[in-house]
Amino acid sequence: MSVFHDSSSSSAPYKDSTPLPDSVPKVQELGVTSAPLKSAAFFIGAYCKDYNEDFMLCKNEAGGDPGRCLKEGRRVTRCATDLIAKMRENCLEQFETHWNCLEMNNQEYYACRKPERTLNKCMFEKLGLTKTIPGTPAGQKQIHEVEKPIYTTLQR
Amino acid sequence: MPPPGGFEAVKYKRNLPFRGPGGLAILGAVAAVCAYGFYRVGKGNLERRELQREKVWSRIHLVPLLLAEGDRDAFRRQQAALEREKEIMKEVKDWEPGKSVYHGARYRSVESIVIL
Repeated sequence: MSVFHDSSSSSAPYKDSTPLPDSVPKVQELGVTSAPLKSAAFFIGAYCKDYNEDFMLCKNEAGGDPGRCLKEGRRVTRCATDLIAKMRENCLEQFETHWNCLEMNNQEYYACRKPERTLNKCMFEKLGLTKTIPGTPAGQKQIHEVEKPIYTTLQR
Repeated sequence: MPPPGGFEAVKYKRNLPFRGPGGLAILGAVAAVCAYGFYRVGKGNLERRELQREKVWSRIHLVPLLLAEGDRDAFRRQQAALEREKEIMKEVKDWEPGKSVYHGARYRSVESIVIL
């Protein structure tokens, strides 16, 4: 039985009154804010492709029931945590520069191409991950590799 | 008598200073500037489409991650609600906690949640 406790008036640290049942293994949540997630999005997509696809297929079969894909969901979270840890280990400086840039620029990719390129280079050299945008027209450069884009932070 | 050296030549030619490029030249120049502008706009539209695709895919890549986290919380709430229902309805005979009001096995999300 759970009762409402106002956390602001409590002297003890917050304790979840209705935790997950013990039958469900615990997993550390990722706890990463939006800008680092956006910065790492394409690498998460490349690195965790199998787990992500497995999870989404499972969700499709489960028809929305949150309890049926917990195992696959834990794998997805663990994979993403793993990737973020690896990124911080290998490309910490580039990663932080890029997501701080995103933070300062309304989280627009086009405003942060310079830090993005150094990050992409580092990720490819250290971890062998590349950023590929699916659906780019054949024979065209991907938008993050265009040398002189029309849309920049400078209005011309 | 004519002055020594003869009379001055008679000025009969029109004296009009140059008044800028002609109408056709201006029209051509304006047309060229506009054509280049529209070319850039077209290029920019294509580029904006690609930027949009990039944004969409960055979100698509994050969907499983966020969904998994949300699912765990939803499942926790579901179980807590079930426990609560069991506790409240334990006196009632033949009450099945968590039983759907509908027939069929299709999953339906709960209509109301208690935020705790």
